[in-house]
Amino acid sequence: MTKKFVVLLFLLLCATSMLCAQTPAGTAPAAADWAVPVSAGFAMAIASGLCGLAQAKAIAACAEGMARNPGSADNIKFALLLGLILIESLALYTLVIIILKVK
Amino acid sequence: MHEPELWLTKIFNDHLASLGNSLLGLVGLHNDRPWADYIVMQILVAAIILLVFALLRPRLSVSKPGKFQHIFELIYDFVQGQTKEQVGHGGHHYFAYFGTIFIFVLFMNLIGVIPGFESPTMSAPVPLGCALATFCYYNIVGVQANGIVKYLAHFAGPIWWMAPLMIPIEIVSHLARPLSLTLRLYANMYAGEQVTMTFLGLTYFLVPAVFMGLHVFVSLLQAYIFMLLTMLYVAGATAHDH
Repeated sequence: MTKKFVVLLFLLLCATSMLCAQTPAGTAPAAADWAVPVSAGFAMAIASGLCGLAQAKAIAACAEGMARNPGSADNIKFALLLGLILIESLALYTLVIIILKVK
Repeated sequence: MHEPELWLTKIFNDHLASLGNSLLGLVGLHNDRPWADYIVMQILVAAIILLVFALLRPRLSVSKPGKFQHIFELIYDFVQGQTKEQVGHGGHHYFAYFGTIFIFVLFMNLIGVIPGFESPTMSAPVPLGCALATFCYYNIVGVQANGIVKYLAHFAGPIWWMAPLMIPIEIVSHLARPLSLTLRLYANMYAGEQVTMTFLGLTYFLVPAVFMGLHVFVSLLQAYIFMLLTMLYVAGATAHDH
């Protein structure tokens, strides 16, 4: 870790702190207040359901692969873990929208 | 919903408010109680990590390793094995950052299990900071390894006449990386605590401990995934085409 590297890293981090500027939020009309929690419920259910289906396919393929070829179990386990986490994060993006938007 | 402060944050805000406000004043902000929960928790986690390694260092020995050394040798071997597998040959140059990000995110995730403390990764700015640090790191390391011209030429993809299609796709995918790192860690930690709290209100006293156990497992997994994705990005950035 040379000094030049540390200076460059620090400058880049300072530059990215500009992204933290806050913009004022607008307000939704009060008449449609029911729409946000209802659609949040449906959105999360759909996201979780599809995430479950996708993870089931991934686990099924990995289990079959490990059964056919026990020697490559380590590689398959690694691919399984990586795949499950990435699919999980897709369902979590929906959760984040809900956390941000539902009062 | 404004949650009350932790006891440690209260101590910081009562006695060190002027220090907090002078730091906030550097970016033009001011607050009555400047120390946020997650800032104080991050400082605590950093102090704990420093303490642990300060206690470890004099106890290291080649001929008679103790239990402490064995634990950290396990962690070291784990991270080094992953580095060799993902980054390959030049991985040892970047090993320090991978190990640091793993230990830091792991300790930050786990400290929330202790009552009276809160995971700093439960608040959005903290995973954002880690993800931005990783983003800056793998780009700088890629430029260092390949030179700025060759590194930018990576964005064009393998076939030159597909570059007008590949460059926007690559730029968007590179920008999506810190976003996905942030959201994955933040949502997992926040949801883990919320699930435990929700079930605490729904069933008897000790039943949510099952969800807390799941949360500990997810904490370990998320720290590992953060480190793994960092390694994959560094491996992609420093890839030599030979």
